[in-house]
Amino acid sequence: MMEELNTKLTNKSGFHMDPRTKIFILIILSFMVFNDAPLYISGILILIPFTSLFLSNHKKMATSYILLYLIATYLKIYVNPSLTGPSSMISASFTYTITRMLPVIIMGTYTVITTKVSEFVASMEEINVPKYIIIPLSVIFRYLPTIYEEIKSIRNAMRMRGIGLNFKTLKTPLKLVEFYMIPILISAVKTSDELSAASLTRGLSNPQRRTHLEIVNFSKTDAIFIIFAILGVVMYAYYFIGDILLV
Amino acid sequence: MMESINIKDLITVGIFSVINIILIFTFGMLGYIPILMLGLPIIGALVWGIPFMLFLTRVNKFGMITLMGLIIGIVMFLSGHTWIPIIVYTITGLLSDIIIKTQNYSSIKTSIIGYAVFAVGLIGNMLPFFILRDYYISAMNASMGVEYVNFITPFLQYHFLIILVILTFIAGLISGYVGKLVLKKHFKKAGMA
Repeated sequence: MMEELNTKLTNKSGFHMDPRTKIFILIILSFMVFNDAPLYISGILILIPFTSLFLSNHKKMATSYILLYLIATYLKIYVNPSLTGPSSMISASFTYTITRMLPVIIMGTYTVITTKVSEFVASMEEINVPKYIIIPLSVIFRYLPTIYEEIKSIRNAMRMRGIGLNFKTLKTPLKLVEFYMIPILISAVKTSDELSAASLTRGLSNPQRRTHLEIVNFSKTDAIFIIFAILGVVMYAYYFIGDILLV
Repeated sequence: MMESINIKDLITVGIFSVINIILIFTFGMLGYIPILMLGLPIIGALVWGIPFMLFLTRVNKFGMITLMGLIIGIVMFLSGHTWIPIIVYTITGLLSDIIIKTQNYSSIKTSIIGYAVFAVGLIGNMLPFFILRDYYISAMNASMGVEYVNFITPFLQYHFLIILVILTFIAGLISGYVGKLVLKKHFKKAGMA
């Protein structure tokens, strides 16, 4: 019985990555923001979020990410140097955000949408992160998708009453902020009460070490991705540090 | 002292961190307009006031504000703002915690001052630009074009940073006060504050 349950839980429809691997890759990717490397150096790091998204059935998002990235790179190399005036500034900040930040943002999105909260908590507890950090972070995981839904429905409700982003309301931005923020805050407070009630019934306040139904372990996929990430970051570091050493 | 923080408090910290993060990322889009990029801490300080004041009504233990700073810093780190925000947010969170603790989390005046101190942490997002200034300018010359660099260089001086800190602090004071008013207007009625 237990065996059967185990195989059922671990056999998650093909592609699956450990939350720790995702966070490790996120940390590595976040170093990319520091520097600007040519495409053949940063290529490995850029492809990691793409492949993981593509393999986990978010093909549309993966392709639009890579297309956006390629367009931005094209703009950066061929179009930006020839532009002048305000259009160059806008184009420059656009390409800057896309080429530097987008891989990290996409990896973060991937982490949030594909990690179950229980899985995240289990893997974090395995590496002994204190619960003062685990619980707020897991709330972020749990609540981020919900708040988008929340904001969407608040926007619809406001539009029904003729309050939306248009010229009339933009004249009084404070009112606009008030109309959006207060409902969101009220729903947030409500959610926080509900979540704490739910967590109490789940025994989250028990000081004993918790057991988990979710089984977290490193698989071959994790090993491959970690190797590629390290390879990428080594190439990346060598490109810059080697440069300094040569000078 | 940390032991007295229970699960409910941790969940509150998480929820309000999410709201602050969403707000800063939404208004961060304004950073596309070049001059506003350096004004982002001020804008952030203006919009965080209301949620933070509501958050304070649910805080009565030392450490919660520090923890929120740490969590926001970690999320900033993971979303590509380098590791500097983690330190800055934690420090300002701790200072804010100490200030508000002096009146036992019940005084309006210390709450507003404490919020302004917390909001100064938003500078952490910009600090890498100042610390690695020369490096950034040479890198931006390559990636953003000479015009942009000429435009932005005068703002990357240290005395501008001090001005930015002061402006953010003032914005925090104003926003904290507005937050208090909004709290009175909306949440007291609903029995939440």
